[in-house]
Amino acid sequence: MWVRTAMWTLLWGEIMKKTTQLALCAILIALALALSYTERMIPLQLLIPLPGIKLGLANIVTLIALYLQGPKTAFTVLVLRCIMGSFFGGGLTGLAFSLTGGLLSMTVMVLTKRLPCFSVYGVSILGAAFHNVGQIAAAMALMQTVYVASYLPYLLMVALLTGFATGCAGAGILRVLSAVPAFTFPKANR
Amino acid sequence: MRLKFQKGDWIAVGLVIVLAVCVFLPFLPSSAAQPGAVEIWQNGVLLDTFPLDRDGEYIIDASFRNVITVRDGQAAITESTCPGADCVHSGWIRHTGRSIVCLPNRTEVRIVGTDGDVDFVVG
Repeated sequence: MWVRTAMWTLLWGEIMKKTTQLALCAILIALALALSYTERMIPLQLLIPLPGIKLGLANIVTLIALYLQGPKTAFTVLVLRCIMGSFFGGGLTGLAFSLTGGLLSMTVMVLTKRLPCFSVYGVSILGAAFHNVGQIAAAMALMQTVYVASYLPYLLMVALLTGFATGCAGAGILRVLSAVPAFTFPKANR
Repeated sequence: MRLKFQKGDWIAVGLVIVLAVCVFLPFLPSSAAQPGAVEIWQNGVLLDTFPLDRDGEYIIDASFRNVITVRDGQAAITESTCPGADCVHSGWIRHTGRSIVCLPNRTEVRIVGTDGDVDFVVG
């Protein structure tokens, strides 16, 4: 009898773990989608007329997912956000751009997070910068020209500012959320 | 979790600036190559070449409609039906090596030297 009880306890723990992760993942994706949709209404292009310029608000969510739940969840959130975001506008070309930018940025963030010299701010700045590098690379491949790269220096300078801003937001949110067990569950607070 | 801005983060800032400068330098307008012509590319194909000193208009009807205007030795995309119209907001260009792109329409307007050749290669 006690064997069965023990098994149930184990199974129940496993189910709770999966459920919590699933719910958290869904919340993060919804948040990222809402942010990337909202930022389209902010006319940053009128201020700085460069193609592909944006605040990168959705990167806050990727950052939070990476710090609270690790690369796997962050990757899932990123890919699903990009795919679902393309339904709301952007289409297939938009999907190609956001995926190449997002995946490169994600890879850089996962790697730099491991280095002790970088805090959330450094990780966020490099993530924002490499998002632009990825997008320009995609544009170069799509348009078969190296001239698109002439936009990159300007985009990188903007990325310094936006990366710092998303870093500020991310650090603020992480300070609060890392104290809530449900958000860091089942990972230990690192 | 490291949530405070620390000294090492300046390395990230420095890296981004160095990368920006490295990409910026090859695209500096070189005085050797006088701007001579405007090339209009769409989807990786050279559609047309214009001399910069002759005013005119060129219209592309692909996924979207782009109106390219050449006036007073400068070129711009003056009208576009693409979403956002970043290309129109990019304004006028006149130096060799500069270009305006319309990503949704895969259009590129590029200023080349008098001989029409690329005078540097990147990468």
